Amino acid sequence: MSSLRILSSVARRAPSVLGRRGYAEAVNDKLRLSFVLPHKALFTAQEVVQVNIPAESGDMGILANHVPSIEALRPGVVEVIEQTGSQKIFVSGGFATVHPNNKLTINVIEAAPLEDFSAEAVRANLAEASKIASGNGTEEEKTEARIEADVYEALQHALAK
Amino acid sequence: MSWRNIFTYNKFAQITARAVRQSLKEEHRVAAEKRGLTAVRYQQWESGQGGAHVLLSEELAAKSSK
Repeated sequence: MSSLRILSSVARRAPSVLGRRGYAEAVNDKLRLSFVLPHKALFTAQEVVQVNIPAESGDMGILANHVPSIEALRPGVVEVIEQTGSQKIFVSGGFATVHPNNKLTINVIEAAPLEDFSAEAVRANLAEASKIASGNGTEEEKTEARIEADVYEALQHALAK
Repeated sequence: MSWRNIFTYNKFAQITARAVRQSLKEEHRVAAEKRGLTAVRYQQWESGQGGAHVLLSEELAAKSSK
């Protein structure tokens, strides 16, 4: 009996295998995004169409009904696509969690829209960080400079597009 | 080889956050720099008596210069 129901529901549409859908839930098919920083909430349970995130394992696009997952974010651009338009926000790194009920939570420490960055400052910072990274400080200082240089390179790449 | 051998994730996250703050345009950068400041002060208590207040950053600086 149940196998017949599963068969017909599979034939009807491409399902999210993990979710068990009732008949009255067809309305709530939007992804709800909560994008928060320690000092500010950029989005709070906002309904969006798609979110592109720079995960450590590669760039991903999250749509509604995504399988629950936790992704560590590298410094990069989070693009939030709503019905009215899209926004690009550079984040310093953090975590993105897709919850089972169509909810996406992004927690990062620092983030700002691309317009808030100064290409000149990024270039100067990158030059300085590269100098320290290839200089002769302690291993710790050089690694720290290497991390910063990676962030500046990602910023330059994002601003250049 | 990577930073994981040297830093904790917390330290890594603070470094990247600092890098992002330093790259903002002037008007945003000033407000953001204040967010990067963290300070911890602790007090050792023994049998109901509080000890001296110790500022963590000062303690670490004194230790590293010894």
